[in-house]
Amino acid sequence: MAIAKKPAKKAKPANKRTIARRSIPKPASSRSPRRADPVVTEIVRNSVVAIAEEMKTNLLRTAYSMVIYEAQDFTVGLFGANGDIISIGIGLPNFIRGISDTIKAMLVHYGPDAERGGTNIGMRPGDVLITNDAYLTGSHLNHITLVVPIFDGKRLIAFSACMAHWADIGGALNIVTRDIYSEGLQVPILKIYDAGKLNVDLLSIIKMNVRIPDRAIGDLHAQMAAVRTGAKRFSELAGRYGTQAVLNGIAAIMDHSEALARKQVRSIPDGIYEAESFMDDDGVDSGKRIRIRVKITVKGDGMTIDLSDVDAQVKGFFNSGEAAGRGCCQVAFKCLTSALEKPVNEGSFRPLKIILPLGKVVSAVKPAAMRRWMTYPMTVVDTIFKALAPAIPQRVIAGHHADLMSALINGNHPEDGKLYILYGGLIGGGWGARYGMDGSSATICINDGDTHNSPLEQVEAKYPVVVDRYGLREDSPGAGKWQGGLGTEKVVRATHEFMFNAQVERVYCRPWGLFGGHPGAGNQVGVQIKAEPEIKFPSGKVLGRLLKPGEAYILRSGGGGGYGIPLERPIDKIEDDLREGYITRQRAEGCYGVIFDAKTGAIDRAATEARRAKLLASGMPMQRNDIEDAADVKNTEDATEAEGRFLTRGQLFPMRCC
Amino acid sequence: MSEGICRQAENNENACEPAILRRLRQDQTGDFSYMTSKAPSFRVAADVGGTFTDVVTFDEASGKTFYGKTLTTPHKLVDGIVTGVLKADTVIRDTRLFLHGTTIAINTILERSGARTALLTTEGFRDIYEIGRVNRPQAYNLFFKKHQPLIRRSLRFEVNERINARGEVIKALDEAQLIALAAQLRELKIEAVAILFFHSYMNPDHELRAKQLIEQHCPDMFVSASHELSKEYREFERTSTVAANAYIGPRIKTYLGEIQDRFVAEKFNGSFFVVQSNGGLFDVARAQRECIRMLESGPAAGVIGAKALCDRLGLRNAIAFDMGGTTAKAGVVLDGEVMMAGNIMVGGYDEGLPIQIPLIDTQEVGTGGGSIARIEEGGGLRVGPQSAGAAPGPVCYDLGGEQPTVTDANLILGRLSADNFLGGEMKLNVDKATRALRDNIAKPMGISLTEAADGIIRIAATTMSHVVTRVTTERGLDAGDFAMVAYGGAGPLHACIVARELRIPKVIIPPSPGHFSAFGMLMADLRWDLVRTWFKHVDQIEFGEIDRIYSDMEVEGTRLLKRDVRDRKRIVCTRAADMRYVGQEHPVTVELPVALFKKKDRAGLKKHFDDVHMLRYGFNAPKEPAEIVSLHSSVVGTLDKPAARPMSKAIKPARPAMKRKVFFGEPAGYVITPVYARTELAPGQKIRGPALVEEYASTTVVFPKDVLEVSRFGDLVITIARS
Repeated sequence: MAIAKKPAKKAKPANKRTIARRSIPKPASSRSPRRADPVVTEIVRNSVVAIAEEMKTNLLRTAYSMVIYEAQDFTVGLFGANGDIISIGIGLPNFIRGISDTIKAMLVHYGPDAERGGTNIGMRPGDVLITNDAYLTGSHLNHITLVVPIFDGKRLIAFSACMAHWADIGGALNIVTRDIYSEGLQVPILKIYDAGKLNVDLLSIIKMNVRIPDRAIGDLHAQMAAVRTGAKRFSELAGRYGTQAVLNGIAAIMDHSEALARKQVRSIPDGIYEAESFMDDDGVDSGKRIRIRVKITVKGDGMTIDLSDVDAQVKGFFNSGEAAGRGCCQVAFKCLTSALEKPVNEGSFRPLKIILPLGKVVSAVKPAAMRRWMTYPMTVVDTIFKALAPAIPQRVIAGHHADLMSALINGNHPEDGKLYILYGGLIGGGWGARYGMDGSSATICINDGDTHNSPLEQVEAKYPVVVDRYGLREDSPGAGKWQGGLGTEKVVRATHEFMFNAQVERVYCRPWGLFGGHPGAGNQVGVQIKAEPEIKFPSGKVLGRLLKPGEAYILRSGGGGGYGIPLERPIDKIEDDLREGYITRQRAEGCYGVIFDAKTGAIDRAATEARRAKLLASGMPMQRNDIEDAADVKNTEDATEAEGRFLTRGQLFPMRCC
Repeated sequence: MSEGICRQAENNENACEPAILRRLRQDQTGDFSYMTSKAPSFRVAADVGGTFTDVVTFDEASGKTFYGKTLTTPHKLVDGIVTGVLKADTVIRDTRLFLHGTTIAINTILERSGARTALLTTEGFRDIYEIGRVNRPQAYNLFFKKHQPLIRRSLRFEVNERINARGEVIKALDEAQLIALAAQLRELKIEAVAILFFHSYMNPDHELRAKQLIEQHCPDMFVSASHELSKEYREFERTSTVAANAYIGPRIKTYLGEIQDRFVAEKFNGSFFVVQSNGGLFDVARAQRECIRMLESGPAAGVIGAKALCDRLGLRNAIAFDMGGTTAKAGVVLDGEVMMAGNIMVGGYDEGLPIQIPLIDTQEVGTGGGSIARIEEGGGLRVGPQSAGAAPGPVCYDLGGEQPTVTDANLILGRLSADNFLGGEMKLNVDKATRALRDNIAKPMGISLTEAADGIIRIAATTMSHVVTRVTTERGLDAGDFAMVAYGGAGPLHACIVARELRIPKVIIPPSPGHFSAFGMLMADLRWDLVRTWFKHVDQIEFGEIDRIYSDMEVEGTRLLKRDVRDRKRIVCTRAADMRYVGQEHPVTVELPVALFKKKDRAGLKKHFDDVHMLRYGFNAPKEPAEIVSLHSSVVGTLDKPAARPMSKAIKPARPAMKRKVFFGEPAGYVITPVYARTELAPGQKIRGPALVEEYASTTVVFPKDVLEVSRFGDLVITIARS
């Protein structure tokens, strides 16, 4: 019998175990020297994936919050006795660390024994642990995490856990929060069930502190069912094949994932790679850019991502915790090294070392405001891709719109006068182009995976709104040999007054292109009051704006960055894009160097090719002024004027893309 | 539907046609000249798959069943059907009832070979179809792809009109614009038109009028409106459904017309029905308009067959397990009824197109006889989802396949016979299979050939057991409470392993498991499932109103059946509702006894829902308010079924035709195992495992200690020993 091959010796032992900051000694089981049966290993692999899937189905079918059942803002999975990830269901990529780090903290919290590697750690069969400590999960207080320890007899063998976003957790609405205390109820690590007995006091506290207690308790039930299902299935698996055989299988899966990831890292040329980008502002200090700087060192089969030069935590609510900061490094790493490997497990991350001092905007400490935790890490992920672009040009992706594009609506429902909270966005946006492939249009940002938008017919049936348009944003993609994806536009009209909030980022700092590809359009937020011109919000942040019947809000997501020099895009593709209305004639002329036949209106291929050749030979001028988007392009009266502005080679496209 | 070999779409040309297929093709030059002159007494079911056309016929006069299997003829599918009928010793003129299931609908979508189609939709929303739900299931894959709409953007047109969520017109339909659009559609040489307007499930007037206008101005176009297919909310899913219907419409209309013409030429004078995805039949005229309903006709018919089998054996709960060359599927019969679902993703979850129609809830996994075993980078052993399909097929078919498959592993373990495959029509190459498995798996992993073969099958079996848990445990059901009806070419080979994995106590292998979907068609009834979105809190229900909506649906369903079922007593209506706790999104479907409505029993309604929620999800909230999301009405017109006739009992114990060495896992190792010919078995005979039962297109594997008994109807009923 053979075992997954051990990876080759690494250059530095320091690279080996890098992830768990809090040092929990590993129980003997998690890295057993015993050899795993390859057949059982494969059975365990398929089973832990299936268990996480079942937990996911269970939760989303019974949840009460639209954020859970449609947006699928939750993460479920199985974790080792030391908190390491065994299998996470597809959920929020950026929450990849959140549960694992929380379980590790729970192990410390409940276990004087834990330090000595013991298994009697103050957790008992029948326990369900709970917390929403934002600095542990790395996210916001809406994320309630439930954890069930799984025992074989008295031996702790694994955890089944689930984090889900509750629609409301109390705290102030309609403002930019500036500390954690204004964001709602904080639940420290506690037991909601202690050896099977419900903690009714805690339940009462929760009910008293949230705005819609029925929903919250409903979601809690749904989560409870999901984690218990996971625990039950894992116990069944251990019962069927033997606990040790299953744990050996899990160890082999992790070793296997590690070996795969190391092999991929080895294929990246050694070197130090750096990049930076900027966030628009934190919603408090208007216009003050926040720097995201990453430094990546690749050596042999190990990689180090250093976030020391990311700006410090901010006043507004865009901070996230260390678990999120580390999580986004791991997300980027997984995308580049083992994108399709299932289950998502700790082994994949072993070759990655992360340097992240506390107090940064993605490793914030108390009492930083965390409500919009999800936004900045996405740009960190994109910046990592940007840094590595010179090393692995065919495996990275140009910048994407990098924002959830959510609008938070609240008001009193005309039917019953009760408060409702609607997440009226998640419109998807443009993704960056890739080597050999245009970017994807209207797709959810990298923070989220299987997140769905809400059916408009459902939203109109449930809430006092009418949607006027939900469509693709023409001319939003960054031009390139491979073009970015299109952003979307959604126009929502109130039929009864409500409060409108949007906290959209990357309006100013647009999704960048790679290798001569142009940036995509930035995200936008606007409000339409009667027949007046649309009011645009340059910062993308709108808090507590009252919309009256007939008034509308407008969300526009950015386009993806382009990849490669636009003049090299095949004319056939440009012709397709024109016919399908993805780009306008101005764009074709201005960015792609196309010349149209004045009589027929069709592309004059010969003239176009001649012009493109000439422009390519000339080295192309660098653009001086940024032009915001299609609307401005259309105002440019003649194409020759546009020429100097758009036909650039520049990765350094000198404007507000970063 | 699912054959040991494969049901994947075949290439059009047969340039590199496998030998076995060539041999089968030769059979098609049948003699059409002889005719009989009896009164039509045959019921004929034809299941056209990508590779094979299966025909089962039943003679009501004699009570006999006949089987025919022939190669599918992609250029003219009707030829294969006619040949198949002949091979089943049946004459078309003697046919009273022709029942048909086909993969043409799903293949037309997957192959993108449908009509030039345009979409008309509400102003502001032509991109809904392309935007979809914006989700990204392959969360870490930077090279992911979204679904590809069947209708490109330049052929999606917006129409000035708007209806709100209450069904009120807030902007009238701009008829002048529509008429202008019609001219444009003609100019663009559009063949089919799909219409989706917002909230048409509440008020279909605009869709109806638009359809009428387009049909009037473009008489040659196939026109389909979303509310005809789905009266549920969700604009993207409804768009995708109506677009798919229009896209496949012209091709299917022609195809069904061809069959009709050919049959008429053969002096057929009976009724022609097509199987819908909900397992019910509908008449061919309707099938030509609502083509999308036949999307999953094959798998649905298999589950209907399983239900019929349960009925005759007196079973209430069963899992229908269908394993073919490329996939394994599972469906559920719960308390005598087939479990239903409301939508399906054609082309898989990650990139597929949703179709929102009532259908039998089947789950599928890419594991079949042709699934390829390989060693992953880093040393893991994986099985599937890559498949060798029908060409080149498993290594042992000797048709060019080089990678070892599940079928090869079965051969090496002695479970398949090299000489008896497909009734001996195809010899299997053991040496090649052995070499492939040894070189690709056993040697690199440092394990024995047997360990490798056994490992492959165990891995395949657990993967397939997960597809069963997806229709059982994920719905709050315990697979151990069910019997398993296994069919498809590869089903009987693996059923006992999968059953043991799930603690399923009993496995049933019907006669001719390779023809089971066609058999299921014979057992189907006429059926309409109607659904209306209707949001209402339980405590606000007006029983008069709810009764009126159900009655409307029942009247509509009855009207649809009346032509074919004249006896009103044969029409059975059942009611159900999608319900949820106020605040939840995903509802569960709750069957509602008519008595509840008579008694106006709100509390009973709520309690029904609480109970189902507890069963399905392990918790409920009796104190919390619940609401109805939509109302379901099933209208079934029962047809006379071929009555299963008990076979005569065996006089002697079963005798094996031969013996051979078969591996059944450690510690037993290879065991000299008796091999029985299924044709020789008779009711009442009991066989103690280990044993094999061979028949034309499949082999049943009975493990040591398991006990097989032949039922009165010839089914193999295997009791799985408790481990």
